[in-house]
Amino acid sequence: MDRGVGLIPVGILALTALSLAQAPPAQAPSPGGWRTPDWNKPPVTAANRKPAPRRNLTGMWAPADGAGGGTQAQGIPLKPNNGKPENALPYTPYGLELYKSHHALEGFDAVLPTEDNDPRNRCEPLGVPRSNHYNVRLTQIFQDDYKVLIAYEYDNRWRVIWTDGRQLPKVVDAGVDVGGEIREPRFFGYSVGRWLDDYTFQAETVGAMPDDRVWLDSTGRPISEKVHVTETFRRTDADTLVWSETIDDPKIYTRPVETMRMPMRLHDPRTDIQEYYCSPVEQENYNKLFGSGASSKGAP
Amino acid sequence: MSTARFVVSVIAVALSLSASLAAHHGAAAFDVGKKVVLKGTVAGWIYSNPHCLLSLDVVGEDGKVVRWIAEGQAPNVVYPAGYRKDSFNFGDQVTITVEPVKNGRPMGRILSAVLADGTTLGVANSSGTAPQPTR
Repeated sequence: MDRGVGLIPVGILALTALSLAQAPPAQAPSPGGWRTPDWNKPPVTAANRKPAPRRNLTGMWAPADGAGGGTQAQGIPLKPNNGKPENALPYTPYGLELYKSHHALEGFDAVLPTEDNDPRNRCEPLGVPRSNHYNVRLTQIFQDDYKVLIAYEYDNRWRVIWTDGRQLPKVVDAGVDVGGEIREPRFFGYSVGRWLDDYTFQAETVGAMPDDRVWLDSTGRPISEKVHVTETFRRTDADTLVWSETIDDPKIYTRPVETMRMPMRLHDPRTDIQEYYCSPVEQENYNKLFGSGASSKGAP
Repeated sequence: MSTARFVVSVIAVALSLSASLAAHHGAAAFDVGKKVVLKGTVAGWIYSNPHCLLSLDVVGEDGKVVRWIAEGQAPNVVYPAGYRKDSFNFGDQVTITVEPVKNGRPMGRILSAVLADGTTLGVANSSGTAPQPTR
């Protein structure tokens, strides 16, 4: 089992790199000590690049391309849903029918707000992989000897990727088979991970919720309980992490689909994260004041 | 009620609004590329999820008051652009530029705002560009 360098030092160089990686920047707005996100960081260049720490993902991360870099309004970044043939996904017949039944507010086939059936708008959990494709902003990663924990900004959701050597469950019709015991499907599935090398961590996830509960992205692309999600987190330097994802869902897609390669930038670990959530009460109020009127067919 | 003049200018320019602007509900309801400039009196400002909402009473050229509802993104998204819970207060005279909805109702999303104290704020939406693939 691999261990985090933050717990077991492996050398002066690695320790130095870690301390550099975790050193807070000198300047950031901090009214009353409540540090706000710094969305205007200078780019990482050859002149300021520092080495990545060994086997360590810990940090406050956010899209390197800025506050809107992880919005993904047009769906998975490597295949935006814009009607272009090169971005069409390889649907199975069932997957295509499922896509057509989804009425999304984003993408090439977007509908008006009153016509959508996005589970997000009923405040359903997004789960995995959609949490990776919905307004990714400040994302905290913690790790210890047994697990990596990812805390998403949206809806204060978190997930665990176990690194203690346990096996990835086997997907079965009723959910997953864990050592001969049938377990229930989960929004965030069952995840295990391992280090492929000193700077590349791989996570695999199965056991997602069925396809009538979750979507792949905000454009209504589907995903099913058969999905196998493979993510890699590659430290390219002290300040940069490249988060990649490939989905393999034979019920929905005829072949695996690489969905994202998102560079993430290290932020000050003291940054305060504003709440960003789905509240049925606030959602209803919004629809009453704006959403319903904005999407009606004509002026009153 | 304010006597603020109603100023509307519809400018059919390509705003190059990126996809990142349409984070919550899509762009289908909006007349993308149009701008409407509104000067009026603040009737309310809700700083909440999924969108912040500004109620603005605007006096038209016919002397009638029209209440516009203008939305911004959620607080965490608009905060970096300078929008705060107390940016708009009841009775403030402000000017906003919105992208209107298609159906002609007095609704839109905030592109910029000039507050009562003269402070100018930018797009009340996400900012940034789509991430580039990196290997």
